[in-house]
Amino acid sequence: MKVLFKPWLLALLCLNVLSVLTVPTAQAHGEKALEPFIRMRTIQWYDVQWSTQKFNVNDEVSVSGKFHVAEDWPISVPKPEASFLNISTPGPVLIRTERYLNGKPWTNSVALEPGGDYEFKVVMKGRLPGRYHIHPFFNLKDAGQVMGPGVWLDIGGDPSDFSNTIKTINGEMIDMERFGFANGIFWHLFWGVLAAGWLLWWVRRPLFISRYRMLDAGLEQELITDRDKFIAKAVLAGVPVLVLALNAVTANRYPDAIPLQAGLDRILPLPAQVNAGTVNVDAIKAEYNVAQRAMLLQVSVDNRSQGAVRIGEFSSSNVHFMNAELADVGHMPGKDDVSNNGLSLDNNAPIAPGEQRTVTIEVRDAAWESEKLDGLIKDADSRVGGLLFLYDDVMGKRYISSISAAVIPKFN
Amino acid sequence: MSAQIPISTFKPYRGEKARLARAYDYLILVLALFLFIGSFHLHFALTVGDWDFWVDWKDRQWWPLVTPLIGITFPAAVQSVLWDKFRLPLGATLCVAALLIGTWVTRVFAYHYWNYFPINMVLPATMIPGALVLDTLLMLTNSLTITSIFGGAAFALLFYPTNWPIFGMFHQPVEVANSQLTIADLFGFQYIRTGMPEYLRIIERGTLRTYGQYATPLAAFCSALLCSLMYPLWWYIGKWFADTRYLKSI
Repeated sequence: MKVLFKPWLLALLCLNVLSVLTVPTAQAHGEKALEPFIRMRTIQWYDVQWSTQKFNVNDEVSVSGKFHVAEDWPISVPKPEASFLNISTPGPVLIRTERYLNGKPWTNSVALEPGGDYEFKVVMKGRLPGRYHIHPFFNLKDAGQVMGPGVWLDIGGDPSDFSNTIKTINGEMIDMERFGFANGIFWHLFWGVLAAGWLLWWVRRPLFISRYRMLDAGLEQELITDRDKFIAKAVLAGVPVLVLALNAVTANRYPDAIPLQAGLDRILPLPAQVNAGTVNVDAIKAEYNVAQRAMLLQVSVDNRSQGAVRIGEFSSSNVHFMNAELADVGHMPGKDDVSNNGLSLDNNAPIAPGEQRTVTIEVRDAAWESEKLDGLIKDADSRVGGLLFLYDDVMGKRYISSISAAVIPKFN
Repeated sequence: MSAQIPISTFKPYRGEKARLARAYDYLILVLALFLFIGSFHLHFALTVGDWDFWVDWKDRQWWPLVTPLIGITFPAAVQSVLWDKFRLPLGATLCVAALLIGTWVTRVFAYHYWNYFPINMVLPATMIPGALVLDTLLMLTNSLTITSIFGGAAFALLFYPTNWPIFGMFHQPVEVANSQLTIADLFGFQYIRTGMPEYLRIIERGTLRTYGQYATPLAAFCSALLCSLMYPLWWYIGKWFADTRYLKSI
């Protein structure tokens, strides 16, 4: 008894200890687990905004923004021939009612073109109250999920208020929350009763030991009676006839039924927004200083625009490193991580029209480590990538370049 | 187990012996029910998986091919034991009923209450008619060959028409985003699944459609052929699994 008591006491103590520990709710979507070179050089998100972050059940909310498909798409990642713009949610706490790519509505997957620019908008409707961390993201076939910037959404109201009614092509209005449910239950019960009847027919009589002994004694003919055979024949003949008859009735009831749709949508990219040719930026060299958590990017800027431009931001994997010396570049809603002083230049003077200058950009912030972007130097593909934003203060214009370069680590 | 008893000396159990044998029946039945709910459901979820989970995966080509092919496995194995050792023709129905109990529990608690999906989006398919045919055919013919060929085929061929009364209504067309979708497709679009992009659905692949667009009968007959082969394979797996040779040496 004493020996038995000890493990129970230990288990009780362990349960008590566990009960006082706080178990935090998982709030991320594993975005940092994806290799940095995939996050940096596939889908490059920018200008992502939510219409609101606080709304009620049945209210609409939309997320819109832009993304550039990197030209320097990693060789180890399959090309985005089937890509699905999705929303990371803990189950359907929202429903997706509309989705647009470059202004065109779309429902299936789409082939994206490396180097292409796209604008997106996803309209949703609140379904379950709560506070949720939500991202737009791309499911890339055979590559995985590339997250866009996430925000917290607060959905209020009563879940029982939620409604989702749609109209079929034949004009019938249906409630998506309940459609086909009662019919499904009916058929499952219908066949379930038949199955239960068959099982009970056999289970009501002595089973295993008795039947085994009788079979062993050669009394097989007594185990299956003539009545059993009659019922079996009725089931064998009746069930297929019933199935085919019910199928025919259903086929007549829904003569316009169509198969599930499997087509790929086709949407062309916008005219170039990134690397548009007005201000060209070419990355020459990249060094990552591990101790200082700083990326040194040497870039060549060729300003072919009509006004002087200044480098204001480097954005990669939803982390925004801002040049603090540009006053008009500030925090924008919907951005995951902003480092307001993360970017500095060796020469901050505006780059004049027609000027070609080599600039060294220092991108320094703990985000390289906290966002697990510094893992790049240990990857087989150790090229850094991101979007460089240049601003023409006078003309009020913005130029965006997608840059990439192999990274050389510096350990001290 | 016991040595063969001559017919002339066979005495059925009576009194306390009969009562204990009956108690043993119920014990085994309850254990078998939970065993098959757990094991067949797990086997089914890992192999048929999304085809059975989601209304927008139930296509006319792969769903009627894959589901009966996997669905006939446990019924065949359990039939081999229950028929061979006890002449009980209920193995297939018992397995399919156990599978449905497990499936419904999961759909209600895991998919609806835990993950918030409406249950009509995750309605399971049923294979009960096919199982009844399999059980009765085995009982009436007492033949593995005939049950394999005709029972296996019937199990596959009956699957799609059995389920059309449940799922046919989800195939009505809807106009969404300047395109035609089924109501089932619309479920997949509206009710967000983070880990289930549209392209992941394995529906309508291959060139079976070139046969005059009659994808379902072709898939069903292909499944019938494969089920006829799968049935004896799993019959022998069941037989091997129920072997008592190790008990004899205890």
